[in-house]
Amino acid sequence: MTVPNILKALLSLQEREGAVTPAAIGGIAHQLGTTTAQVAGVLSYYPDLHCASPGRHVIRLCMGESCYANGCTRLLRSLQDRLRVDVGETTGGGKFTLGTMSCAGNCAVSPTVIIDRDLWGRVLPSQLGALLERYK
Amino acid sequence: MNDECRMATRLYLSNDTSARAAGAASLAEAWVDRPEIQLIRTSSRGAFYLEPMVERDSADGRVAWFNVTPDDLPRILSGKNGTPVPSIPFLARQTRVTFANFGETEPLALGEYQARGGLKGLEQALNMSPEVIIEELKRSRLRGRGGAAFPVWNKWQVAQQTEADEKYVVANADEGDAGTYCDRMILEGDPFRLLEGMLICARAIGAGRGYVYCRHEYPAAAATLWEAIHKADEAELLELDGEPFPIEVVQGAGSYVCGEETALLESLAGGRGVVRAKPPYPAQEGLYGKPTIVSNVLTFATIPTILSRGGAWYASLGTERSSGTMALQLGGRVKQPGLVEVPFGLSLRQVLDQFGGGMAPGARFKAVQVGGPLGSLFPASKLDIPICYDAFAQAGAVLGHGGIVVYDHETDMVDLARHFMAFTANESCGKCTPCRIGSVRGREILERIQAGSGTVDDLVLLGDLGETMKVASLCALGGRAPYPVLTAIEHFPAEFRSRLRT
Ligand code: SF4
Ligand code: FES
Repeated sequence: MTVPNILKALLSLQEREGAVTPAAIGGIAHQLGTTTAQVAGVLSYYPDLHCASPGRHVIRLCMGESCYANGCTRLLRSLQDRLRVDVGETTGGGKFTLGTMSCAGNCAVSPTVIIDRDLWGRVLPSQLGALLERYK
Repeated sequence: MNDECRMATRLYLSNDTSARAAGAASLAEAWVDRPEIQLIRTSSRGAFYLEPMVERDSADGRVAWFNVTPDDLPRILSGKNGTPVPSIPFLARQTRVTFANFGETEPLALGEYQARGGLKGLEQALNMSPEVIIEELKRSRLRGRGGAAFPVWNKWQVAQQTEADEKYVVANADEGDAGTYCDRMILEGDPFRLLEGMLICARAIGAGRGYVYCRHEYPAAAATLWEAIHKADEAELLELDGEPFPIEVVQGAGSYVCGEETALLESLAGGRGVVRAKPPYPAQEGLYGKPTIVSNVLTFATIPTILSRGGAWYASLGTERSSGTMALQLGGRVKQPGLVEVPFGLSLRQVLDQFGGGMAPGARFKAVQVGGPLGSLFPASKLDIPICYDAFAQAGAVLGHGGIVVYDHETDMVDLARHFMAFTANESCGKCTPCRIGSVRGREILERIQAGSGTVDDLVLLGDLGETMKVASLCALGGRAPYPVLTAIEHFPAEFRSRLRT
């Protein structure tokens, strides 16, 4: 194809490096023969692309309707209290980054919490402590 | 195979993401080294309230144990107290067409797929002219399962008749509606069915290449699909009329609006996934400006059976204008969440009673939402609506992708409405003003009401804003966004009024 696939390039860079740093934008633009504005435009458009490196573990809480009906807002509050961070932030020691997502397709076994690559279903606020303990 | 293995009892356990989340993963871990069993990892039957479910063969078919823990192994090996799978009411009451293989087969076993009737549709298609394939689809009256419910044959005919040096088939696996998971199940559980549907489409329109645009949120689905593609390739299935027909999986990056076909094509080409006005329709000018069929996974997965059993047979199911079966996905506060495939026409109440099994323990019904975050809310008094496209359209609602989420008495409707508007404000692609600005203003008004500083005028403003978004938005995200909010206000007015500043 003649069209440069900016998204693909950014996703694979992020996969390797953990994030797409602003410094990397110029290099990608050069490599694909496009402008930095084009690359920055794609980077800023997609929620799953980010510029800052996340913590050692990334927690994503599903806020979709089935998870909402099953108490994800309580889970979120509880996580915020425990980790003392807001959505999008990383804990002091750089251990956890807290994020949300809109649906993991696990609605029948909701509410859903994803930590790194592990998906947990039917999560109760009372289980959060033990769950976080598993991640050192 | 040594003697020990030959003696081992075959147990079937689903490897589906939700089954794993429900405990199948830890069962597999606990049992992996047990010489007395041989674990077969199947797809899930979709009775997720019973997962993890373990099955074994018996003289009368499969027998199952529900909500299994590792300690249940002796009981299962003794063969006592199992339930014959066909006698589980949740499954027995369904009409499984597209989901007929679920729970039965190993997702990546091509031989099993074929043994259960897979590839017959493709075989038929290869012996038909493109026009005849499209005729068969017309006879089936299949409508796209993704949301717009457009007749599939019509779209294919346009692509077929448009002259071009290259055409594409794109499967939309960006199932973004929260509360829906049937695409994920197909991708993980019966991937060859999707590939077969795409090949049939390619053959009908004369396409030379296929893509599956899979959301980033479904890593297991993307991995399974890649493996299925490699297996199909090895079996020399990925070719048409002697020409290769490569299929590639392309990942999205978390944007909801990329489920809209024009935005999806932009994103597939690697740019910002922004919606563009139609016409031209993708069937005429799609990916890289070439004729492209974009259909969702469920639609493609339905096609092999239509070709193998005939359009007329398919049309004999369901209702006149909503033919065939629909995959409904129950979630939220029902007792029995899971996937249900039934012919169109049952009422919402019947679906909730017969399959949902009533409310989860301790929960009382408040409202149900059909069709994802842009779907209307139904109170108890409106549950007799039949599940079909026309009845929903008449009620100002959408069936969407078939997600059904039940909310209980503890749900705060003002907060729920704010939740929906915040979703739209987050996901708006920014192309048109009513959605880009309207959703942010809508969210602010709802936040005001929530904080107790809203007035009656704010409710009126919200109504006006909603009407404007409905008629003036470029795509369904902005156009549908007011529905859950306005139906929440319509059916639960007291909750909104009691929060207003007097
Ligand atoms: S309605 Fe919203 S998502 Fe759709 S085109 Fe307009 S701004 Fe984009
Ligand atoms: S709504 Fe949370 S997994 Fe679907």
